[in-house]
Amino acid sequence: MKKINYFLAALLGLSFSFASAQTPKGSVLIKNATVLTVTKGTLQNTDVLVQDGIIKKVGTNLSAPSGVETVDATGKYLMPGIIDAHSHVGLDVVNEATSPITSEVQMKDVVNPTEIGIYRALAGGVTISHAMHGSANVIGGQNATLKHRWGTKNPNDIIMMDAPRTIKFALGENPTRVHGRGNGIQPRSRMGVEAVIRNGFNEAIQYQKAWADYDSASAQKGNKATSPRYNERLQTLADILDGKIIIHCHSYRADEIYMLINVARDFNITKLVFQHTNEGFKVAPEIAKYTMGASVFADWWAYKFEVYYSTAFNAAILNANGAITSINSDSAELIRHLYHEAAKTQRYGGMTDDESLAMITINPARQLGISELVGSIEEGKQGDLVIFDSHPLSVYTVPQMTFVDGIKYFDIKEDKNDQRLTVSPTEMVENVYLRQQTERCMQDTEHLFDMAGNLFNQN
Amino acid sequence: MKRTLFRATVICMILGSWMISSSTFAQSDPTGKKRITSSFAITNATVFTEPGKAGVKSTILIQDGVIAGVGNNLSIPKEAKLIAGDSLFVYAGFIDGASNTGITKPKDPERSENFVSSDPPDEIAGITPSRSAVDQFAMDSKVEELRKGGFTVLQIVPEGGMIAGKAAIMVLGNETSSNLIMENTALAVSFKGSRGMYPGTAAGVMAKFRDVYKNTELTKINSDKYASVPGVKRPDIDDTFMGMKDVIAGSTPVMFSASSELEIRRALKLQKELGFNLILTDLENYEGVIPEMKAAGVKVLIKAEVPDDKAIKAQKEDVTEDVKAQYIREKESFDKAIAQAGKLEAAGIQFSFTTVGVKAGDIGKSLKTMIDGGLSETGALAALTTNPAAMMGMSRELGTIEKGKMANLVLTTDTLFKEDTQIKHVIADGYLFDYETKAKKKADEAGKATTGTKVAGNWDYTTESPAGSSGGVITIKKDGNEYSGTITYDDPAGSGKATAPIKDIKLDGSSLSFAFDVNAQGMSIVVEISGTIDGNSMDGTMSIGQFGSFPFEATLIPSITAKL
Repeated sequence: MKKINYFLAALLGLSFSFASAQTPKGSVLIKNATVLTVTKGTLQNTDVLVQDGIIKKVGTNLSAPSGVETVDATGKYLMPGIIDAHSHVGLDVVNEATSPITSEVQMKDVVNPTEIGIYRALAGGVTISHAMHGSANVIGGQNATLKHRWGTKNPNDIIMMDAPRTIKFALGENPTRVHGRGNGIQPRSRMGVEAVIRNGFNEAIQYQKAWADYDSASAQKGNKATSPRYNERLQTLADILDGKIIIHCHSYRADEIYMLINVARDFNITKLVFQHTNEGFKVAPEIAKYTMGASVFADWWAYKFEVYYSTAFNAAILNANGAITSINSDSAELIRHLYHEAAKTQRYGGMTDDESLAMITINPARQLGISELVGSIEEGKQGDLVIFDSHPLSVYTVPQMTFVDGIKYFDIKEDKNDQRLTVSPTEMVENVYLRQQTERCMQDTEHLFDMAGNLFNQN
Repeated sequence: MKRTLFRATVICMILGSWMISSSTFAQSDPTGKKRITSSFAITNATVFTEPGKAGVKSTILIQDGVIAGVGNNLSIPKEAKLIAGDSLFVYAGFIDGASNTGITKPKDPERSENFVSSDPPDEIAGITPSRSAVDQFAMDSKVEELRKGGFTVLQIVPEGGMIAGKAAIMVLGNETSSNLIMENTALAVSFKGSRGMYPGTAAGVMAKFRDVYKNTELTKINSDKYASVPGVKRPDIDDTFMGMKDVIAGSTPVMFSASSELEIRRALKLQKELGFNLILTDLENYEGVIPEMKAAGVKVLIKAEVPDDKAIKAQKEDVTEDVKAQYIREKESFDKAIAQAGKLEAAGIQFSFTTVGVKAGDIGKSLKTMIDGGLSETGALAALTTNPAAMMGMSRELGTIEKGKMANLVLTTDTLFKEDTQIKHVIADGYLFDYETKAKKKADEAGKATTGTKVAGNWDYTTESPAGSSGGVITIKKDGNEYSGTITYDDPAGSGKATAPIKDIKLDGSSLSFAFDVNAQGMSIVVEISGTIDGNSMDGTMSIGQFGSFPFEATLIPSITAKL
C-alpha cells in the first residue's frame, strides 16, 4: 500500500505534498463574507471553500461538502493570512554574533514552536512569519519561514517546508559595531562590510572550483586526488551565487543599499530583498530594477544615527517606483497589528486598499518566494485566511478568526486566558507574564555591549 | 635415616614458613591499610539477584573482587570475613550512567596573541574529542558520597565545551587501584556554546558539529587513500580527527546532553542527518518526545532528579480565580514532570540515570518521587543496575548478583525505596565500605500527629541574602498540641538584635513553617520561613515579603533542648 502511494506520488509529481503530508490540513466553508482577495479585487457576499488545506472554490451559494464546517461571515471581512517578512518570533537563538560571516548557521535548527508570540501573532491575523537570523553579522544565518500552526511542540510542524531558502545579510552600524568596534576585526566601516561580502563570494567561487576539480579528478582511474575540506559556510555562499537562496539584507542608508545592488550585479545575483531600507526612497528606481524589493517599517526610525533620515512615505514612494514593497514588524509587539501598520500607508502616501493590503500579504509572499502558494485568496492557493469584524484597514477592526491550511488556530470567541503550550513546573511566575518578549535584531549580542549598551540602541 | 629426613623436612617447613611470613611482613603496607582478606561471605541475607525477582534468603561469597557464589550450600573458606546478613537486604551495586562526580574541569588553554574569536582553535572553542574523562577524575569526597548512596560504577563524563571528550567507566573500589574498567565509552557532546567566540550559541554549535563530523569523514577517506596509493598528498591529522574517528566509524557513540524536548529533537535531527550512534543524556523534560526517542532507538539517560516543589508548596488558598487557574496548570505540569519516568518505562524504552548536576544526597528521595509518580520499583532498580550495564555493553560483568560478576553490592536495612531504608554496606570491586545507620525512629505512641520530629527548643539559624549573611535564635515551645515561640534577628533599624513573636507555626511530618513580622521604616513586612527538619538540623528558605526567598539553615542547640 505504501509502495503504491509512493509510486502514485512520484507519477503525479506530488512527492512534495507527500513529504509534508504530516502537517494537519483542514476544510472549511466561509459564507457570505466581503472577500478581499488582494490580487483579484473585492468580492461582496462571497463564499470561500477550503478543502484539505487548499482554497477549492471562491464564489456564491457554495454548499459545504459533508463533514465540512461552515462559518457564517455575514457582515465580516475575509482576507488572506497576513505575512510578516521580518520577525524573530519562535526562535530560541537569534544571533550567532561571533563571526562576520555565519552563513552555515540555520534558524531551522532553533525554532521553538511553543513560544507564546506565535499565538499572539495569530491573534493579529498573521499566518506566516519570516523567522530571521539577527543583524550582528554581515552575512548571518539562514532563516526559517514559519507557518503559525499553533499547538504543536515539534518545530518541523511549523516550518514551511515548501518555502525556498533565504539568508540574512546586514549592513551598516550593527556589524561594524559588533565585529569592528567590539572585536577589532573587519568590518570596522561600511567599506569593510562590502569587502567582507565580496571576499566571501570570491572564496565561495574558489571553493566551488576546488570541489569541481576534485570531483572530476577522483572520477579518473588511479587518481591521487584528495578532497578539499568541507565548508558549509562557503557552500551556502556558493548556493547564493547559484540562485538557490534569497538574500534578505538589513540596511538603512541609500549608499549602502546601492553598494549591495552593485555587488549583487557583479556576482549575477538577482534574488535580493532589502529589509528596513529606511532610505530606500532615495534609490527606489534602482531597488525596483535590480532586486525583489524592500520590506520596510511603516514609521519607525531615529533609534540610532543611521536611521535619522527617514519618512513615513517610504513605502508609498518605493511602491510608486515599482519596487515590490512590504511592511514588516521585526517585533513581537508590532506583529500583532500589522494591519494597522499597513493602513499607515494610506495616511502617508494615499495608497489604495489593495495596495496597502498587498504590503502585508502578496508582496511579502513574493519576497519570500512563496507567492504561488499563499498571499492572496485564489483557488489553488493554501487556505491561510483571516476574518475581521470590519475592514482590516480600519483602526477599529478586530481579527475574529485565523486559519492556516484550512484549520482554525485562533478564534476570538474561544480565546482562553492562558494559552501557554508549556508550563514550568517550578516557576510560579514565568517570563511571559512579567514582560512582553520583544525579539530584536540584536538579540544574543547584548553581552558584547555591556558598556556600550546604555549609549547605543541595538535595533 | 627416615627420621633424619623427617626432621629435616620439619625444619625446612618451619624455616620455610618463617621465611614466607617474614617476606610477607617485609612487603606489607606500612600504613596498615592493607586488608586482611579479599574474601567475604554475606550469610543468610535476603538477596535480590536482579530487578523483578523476589528476595531469597541466601549467602553470597566474594573472592578477589568477583562473586564466587550465591546460594545456600556454599562452602565458605576459612579466610573469608563473615558479614551477618540475617537482617540485611542485598542488591546489585548501582551504576551511574553518566556522572561528573570527581571530575575537575581542566584549565582553559592560553589564547595566543593572534587569537581571532571568529575562528578560534578547536581546543579553545570547546572542541576536544581527544580528551578523556579519566584525566579529569579523582576519587574525592564527592565520589565517596555517591558510593555511600549505593553507586559502585560510574560512567564519568569530561567537563568542557560542545565536544568535551570521551567518557570512561570506573568502579568505585579501593582508592589505591586505578579502578578503570573501560575507556572511550562515549563522546560527550552538548549544545553549550563558547563564550565570546565561535560557536557561541546552540545554532552555531549545531553548524560546527556538522562541520567537524563531515570533515572527519573526509579526512578518513583521504587518509585511507594516502595509506594505499603512493604519491597522495599527506592528510592533515589533528587532535580533533583523532578524537572523532571512532565516532564516525560507529564504534564510539555520541552522548548528547539534551535536557529539554527541543534539545532532544535537535540531537535527534543531527543523528538523523549524520548517522552516529546516539545516547541522550541529562533528560529533564521529555514526555512529549517519547515516541520519537522510541522510533530512533536511542539510549536514554534521565536526570536522577525531580523538579523542586517550592512553587507548588508556595501556592496559597486565598487567591483570585485567574491565579487559581494558573496554580492548576502549574500543578499539572509538576505532576506530569514526576510521572515522566513511569511513561518512559511504559513505552518500553530502556533507560538509566545520570547524576550530572544532581546532589548525591537527594537521589534516593527523587527516585521515590518518580515511583510515586508511576515508575515501578522494578523499573527503578533496573534503571540503577541492569539497564546501564546493558547500555554500556557490560551485562556480562555488571548489573545483577550472579556468580562470576563483579562484586558490586548494596546492603540495606530494609527493601529499597522504602522511607526508612538505609544503606549499611556497599561492596565495590570486592572492597567493603561500612556506613553508620541510625536506629529506626519509633512511631509516636498514642496516635500523635507528629512522627517524633523534634521542634521545640532553641535553634541557631543563619540566612544568606544579597545583603550578606545574618542569623539569630529561634525559641519554640510546645503547649499541648500547639507551638509558640520567638525569633531574634538583626534589627533593621540599627545595630543589635530585635525579637519578635513567631506565628502560624505548622508542623507536617518533618516540614516546619512559621512566620513573623518585621517593622522596617514604618513598613510591616511578613517574613515566612519553611523547611525540613532532619534530626537536629533544619534546611529551608526564608521569604521576605516581595524581596524574594533566601536559603535558611538552623540547628537545634543541644544543651538547652526543651522536652517535646
